[in-house]
Amino acid sequence: MIEGARWRRWSFFYVPVTAFVIFLLFPFYWMLVTAIRPDRELYKPWSSPLYQPFWTLHPTFQHVHDLLTQTLFSTWMLNTMIISIAATLISLFCGLFAGYALSRLKFPFAGSIGTGIFITYLVPQTLLFIPLSDIIRNFHLGDTPWALILTYPTFLVPFCTWLLMGYFKSIPKELEECARIDGATRWKAMLFIVFPVALPGILSAGIFAFTLSWNEFIYALVFLSSPTEKTVSVGVTSDLVRGDVFYWGQLMAGALLGSIPVAFVYSFFVEHYVSGITGSVKG
Amino acid sequence: MSLLSAASSRAYVVRRPRGPIGRMLEDERWLGLALLAPTIILLGLFVAYPFVKGIELAVTNTTVGQPGHFVGLQNFVALWHDDIFRMAVWNTCLYTVVATTTKLALGLWLALLLNRSFRGKAFMRAFILLPFIIPTVLSTFAWKWMFDPTFSVINYVLLHLHLITVADRINWLGEPVLAMVSVIIVNVWRGVPFFAISLLAGLQTISPELHEAAAIDGARAWARFRHVTWPLLLPVTMVIMLFSVIQTFADFQLVYVLTGGGPANTTQLFATYAYQIGIGTGLLSQGAAISLAIFPILLLVVIVQLVYIRRVETV
Amino acid sequence: MGRLDRRRFLQLSGGVAAVIASGRAPAYAQQTTLHWVRWSDFVPASDTLLKGKITEECQKALGIKLQLETINANDIQARVTSAIQSGNGPDIIFALNNWPQLYSTSLADVSDVAEEIGHEQGGYYPISKQVATVGNKWIGVPWAIGGGLVAYRKSWFDEIGYHTFPDTWEKLQDAGKKLKAKGTPIGQALSHSFGDPPGFWYPWLWSWGGKEVDADGKTVALNSKATLESVERAVPFWNEACDPGGLAWDDSSNNRAFLAGTICCTNNGASIYIEAKRKPDTYQTEKGTPMYKDIRHAPLPKGPGGQYNLPGPFTDMVMQYSKNQKAAKTFLKWVHTKPVFEEWFTSQQGYTDGATRYWEKDKVWSADPVLTPFKNLPRQGRLTGYAGPPGRAAAEVQTKYIIIDMYAKAVQGMKAQDAVNWATGELKSIYSV
Repeated sequence: MIEGARWRRWSFFYVPVTAFVIFLLFPFYWMLVTAIRPDRELYKPWSSPLYQPFWTLHPTFQHVHDLLTQTLFSTWMLNTMIISIAATLISLFCGLFAGYALSRLKFPFAGSIGTGIFITYLVPQTLLFIPLSDIIRNFHLGDTPWALILTYPTFLVPFCTWLLMGYFKSIPKELEECARIDGATRWKAMLFIVFPVALPGILSAGIFAFTLSWNEFIYALVFLSSPTEKTVSVGVTSDLVRGDVFYWGQLMAGALLGSIPVAFVYSFFVEHYVSGITGSVKG
Repeated sequence: MSLLSAASSRAYVVRRPRGPIGRMLEDERWLGLALLAPTIILLGLFVAYPFVKGIELAVTNTTVGQPGHFVGLQNFVALWHDDIFRMAVWNTCLYTVVATTTKLALGLWLALLLNRSFRGKAFMRAFILLPFIIPTVLSTFAWKWMFDPTFSVINYVLLHLHLITVADRINWLGEPVLAMVSVIIVNVWRGVPFFAISLLAGLQTISPELHEAAAIDGARAWARFRHVTWPLLLPVTMVIMLFSVIQTFADFQLVYVLTGGGPANTTQLFATYAYQIGIGTGLLSQGAAISLAIFPILLLVVIVQLVYIRRVETV
Repeated sequence: MGRLDRRRFLQLSGGVAAVIASGRAPAYAQQTTLHWVRWSDFVPASDTLLKGKITEECQKALGIKLQLETINANDIQARVTSAIQSGNGPDIIFALNNWPQLYSTSLADVSDVAEEIGHEQGGYYPISKQVATVGNKWIGVPWAIGGGLVAYRKSWFDEIGYHTFPDTWEKLQDAGKKLKAKGTPIGQALSHSFGDPPGFWYPWLWSWGGKEVDADGKTVALNSKATLESVERAVPFWNEACDPGGLAWDDSSNNRAFLAGTICCTNNGASIYIEAKRKPDTYQTEKGTPMYKDIRHAPLPKGPGGQYNLPGPFTDMVMQYSKNQKAAKTFLKWVHTKPVFEEWFTSQQGYTDGATRYWEKDKVWSADPVLTPFKNLPRQGRLTGYAGPPGRAAAEVQTKYIIIDMYAKAVQGMKAQDAVNWATGELKSIYSV
């Protein structure tokens, strides 16, 4: 609710909100304008009187068209999507079980295993990717989506586990005990009683994991080689950054097309996402 | 009701899961192990093993294609005397501290704003997430162009607001201090949405009655925030800070694309320097040593935070 | 040139000819797939040619299936490193600069192929040979040489009375000063980027007589009067004549600034000119005429120590872990035969020089007089690490941007002697290992 005098509303709400929106979304507007700007206008310096950064009088879909026809952009999108979804599912699978075990069950070394899982999150990727390429080779995973589907969880699982651990802690133990009294096994109580209640938490972990996989660069660069296997980040930078020539229009079109669809999907989840994180941190 | 529950409680005692596996899963210890198995196998294979390999690398003098021999801590000693490394340490710490605190402050502010109800709220909540969603490499290219000395749209705006003239344009990525500021701006831009949404989630758990009660007691807005909202938000904040610090500390893509560590190493971070040495010059062992040097510092920061979280939680 | 004529091909391609004469590809090559990683070329048409026509021809002539992958030049080293460490990856990798020296122990011996090509095509330039050999062994087959010349706006230099491009640093500084007053300074990167900054600042150092190490490749010789002078002279040159934005530039920035008409000249490959010529309607002068007609190329000016440039030799490395080494060599021998290589060379339009002297006579150079100056580029070239070899230490100095940062620090206010001392210290610790 926005209450108070008009000037208060303006200075404490509208002005800061507008400032935030501009700061956060202006780069996207910039990408949009660049993506539809003809090359001729692209190369006007900022101090030129003819410089019109905020709009163009000659919008063109050439860059978008080139991006979709001259590069394998749609294939890269599909690859990224498949890899991100698969890696997210694996991470959720591991994270759910591990999080449940660590927050609900008593067994030897639970604490140190929990810490151990967390510490793996601290190991920098720049250290890991060389030894990892060894493993990828031994398993013959190179240049297949599996190379990423199996390595992305290394930084996703610790996060999911910790997020879900917190969430499970916030679910009252009685819920589960009731089910057990009704004759359910531990396994079933976990699967059919605890997990469904944890759905918002699962969703928020999933969204976070998906975003991180969507963004990843180094592993995707090193482990994949066929043009048809690449992900958006790597594909776009390989094809549109050519030595000292950048294809700005197409680059920006790629950036936009690579993020807006995901934002739409998120807009359906965001309310759950919000409540999901809440649960996890209450514990 | 009580009769019913008594009956089912007996059923609980009587009914045993069938089969040896089922029985094993009923034992907390076995179930715990079974549930952890996928995670342990995955992390063991893809993190622990390469991590050990990485440590091995750091104490040898391996270069690309030439397996070296054990040299002890020589690589670390060399780092200790390395100017650029010390600069990278300082830069990384500065970068992490400034960027995370700014993200926290702005994120909190935005969360407080978004916690009110207004038209288009759901839409806005989804779309302010955009900077967090977009592939970092690509958004960094967009920023790079916005900072470009020749085409900077930011300079254009400042010029038309009469804040600068054509002659004293701002050389965003070219001046040592400004370059760091620019890099931090982009990091903040990317991180604020995550902070805002997560803190917003935390805000929504705080029941409005608490605020009303405080308001009735005559507490002003700031006092209400200070004594009601903030303490309740603290646990959320700590967890988010924890993850943000880790990510910011190991940041690579952003600086790699934006400045390459320049000008004169004033934006050089741990990860970019490790990459430059390990990959750029093939000195794998030194690169590994730099990457490893992050570890104890990060561990220390994280332990402090974890201890603090535990304290906050138990209070 | 048109489709490869089989008969002509037979005449020209020496060793491979015998194989093809037998009517079919040799057994080992029959179903071989060769994975070749290259950078994404500055000239997109060349990538199209390699991926299309040359891949087809290769299949036909050798029975080898060529799988060409192009990636951003900056990212190649990450791929090489992981490939070598895991012993698995592309069969041939395209290297820039002195990279082959970094990976020398992991590369196959290709002496036979390289010697033969060199012998047939007028001999390799010393710089190509330097980066591709260890002792007498060839660890890579030189592909071509890229390099920079100063692209400048003829009419602007005419206006201030320089009808030919300034041939000394003093004159260039003077011209730059005048043009900077008009709002179009000299554009030069002084930042952490792999191509342009070394391409200008190493020749700057050499032209004042400075050098990193002695010929033994061990004794650091940077701390000299000549180096000190080069740093002292760099500061006014930068402040009076250059665009300060250069401190933040990457390799693409000067292209854009030049095409936008904000700088009068810049040291670069031919990519600016080629881009301007490709789109005459997009890039125009302030008078509304196509910009490419106002662009000329000239070598970097000379100093008391001489006149130099830093060319970038390209080398194809056959990886030792590869199981297709024989096929890779066959392929390289084939692709370097005159008719095949000429197709590629022509598509470059003068952006690159050949690795051997034969290509100086190619008709590419007469096609466009503006690009002709690139023809002689490899002759005046020196490599980083001079007067020592372009080995690992030289690469480390380059990758850490020590020489670049020495100038950057001075330009940002550090005392010249302090900057030189700092760089000397860094060099000593690198060369002492």
